[in-house]
Amino acid sequence: MKHLKPANAKAEKFAEAAENGQTEEVRLMQTIAGCTATLDPGWEVDAFGGVAALCQPMEADLYGCSDPCWWPAQVADTLNTYPNWNNDAPATEKDWRKLNSVYPEKG
Amino acid sequence: MNGARRIMKTSLVAAATALVALGTGAGTAHAKDYLLTSVKPDTLVLVDTAARKVEKAYKVPDAEPGVLTITPSPDGKTAYVLVNRWESISGIDLDSGKQVFRADFSSGEERVKGMFGMDISPDGSEIAVYQSPVALGLGEYEVKPTRIAFYDTSAGTDAEPVRTIPVPRQITLIMYSADGSKLYGLGRAVYVIDPKTGDILDEHKTQSWDRENFAPPDILDVWSQWEQAGVMVTPYYTARTDMDPMDPEAYVTGILSLDLKTGAFDLSDVENTDIFYFSSVASPTDPDIVFGAYSQLSKFDTSAGKALGRVDLDHSYYAINISSDGKEVYVGGTLGDISVHDAETLEKIGSIEMPGGASQGISSVRIIER
Repeated sequence: MKHLKPANAKAEKFAEAAENGQTEEVRLMQTIAGCTATLDPGWEVDAFGGVAALCQPMEADLYGCSDPCWWPAQVADTLNTYPNWNNDAPATEKDWRKLNSVYPEKG
Repeated sequence: MNGARRIMKTSLVAAATALVALGTGAGTAHAKDYLLTSVKPDTLVLVDTAARKVEKAYKVPDAEPGVLTITPSPDGKTAYVLVNRWESISGIDLDSGKQVFRADFSSGEERVKGMFGMDISPDGSEIAVYQSPVALGLGEYEVKPTRIAFYDTSAGTDAEPVRTIPVPRQITLIMYSADGSKLYGLGRAVYVIDPKTGDILDEHKTQSWDRENFAPPDILDVWSQWEQAGVMVTPYYTARTDMDPMDPEAYVTGILSLDLKTGAFDLSDVENTDIFYFSSVASPTDPDIVFGAYSQLSKFDTSAGKALGRVDLDHSYYAINISSDGKEVYVGGTLGDISVHDAETLEKIGSIEMPGGASQGISSVRIIER
């Protein structure tokens, strides 16, 4: 980490994990073992530990993963709670800017 | 490395099933291929593959967020689609575009998802769908046993199950044998199920295979696309446990195949695992020739246990199917196009754009003759 400086709070946590000898814990969380059982922690790697074997481009994978609830921690749950999250964005490469964050309804 | 070898060749041949072998895919003299896929958020799409154009697009009622599994009727007139957050089947008449069948699984106290597995009996009379129910209590959710529910295809738009059978969890694909006497379920094993009684008649081992020096295989397939050859094929991934796990040569890709006419089950290693395939399809002219797709399109000979060729695709695709003459391969799913490839050279020879460029997401891609 000598040549890299954390740019935000999350990156700072990564740096701290490395300094505190917790890299093995991070590595374990790379393991993709299913859908909601793992709650993929916000990043995804392929079975080789890299990203080259993930979907290219990422937009190709977005609806295939969000609709069966594969990425429940990263995108809205269209399987149960927010079924209409991407209704107005049918072409993911062109429409991704229309995809918004979701919040629990009040009351 | 080409350390492929062939293992576990088993056959469950029932002599009677061979008699119906000629039935699959037979059409009239003028029948031609059409491809069925879907786009977000609610549209079933019929494609004229020879013309490379969309023939019709059907808005499916209450389908959001999309159409998942597509199951065409044997006569090619109706498409049954898993929709409505995977809680309903809608049957769409491909001539009129009208919804002629509807089954809503969930009730007030029970939420039922049909996760991928769906097939229609060879005589077209029954739809079978794999269901995962959850009882919604006031203070807790209770996961209920998984099951296959059967619906009469003539039940109209308020269909209720005619029966259900309990089946193991984690089944992703179900398919009828060609004679309709058995249902196969792809899960932690390949289960052979009696569709009338629910009895597990046999089990082909995958996760619990006893293959010495090989790790349990990783198999995940959610795309129904076996209609052309009458053979379900899916990739598996394993690793040599007697080799250094840091050695890339320790990882092996294979093809699982299940012949729906004869019941023959086979596992064939085909290449070292340097890339992945999400799904695969067998050629109707030679079911030992298998095509796999994801970010590359590859061709394998499972009888020889080797790869025959590979090309890069323009982007990742989940699903794949093949023309009735075995000459063209179609890769689809994910984004808003179908890429057409020569089955001999794998070269790209065409492209079919979806309406509005809408994404197909996780839709299956089926071939019918009309």
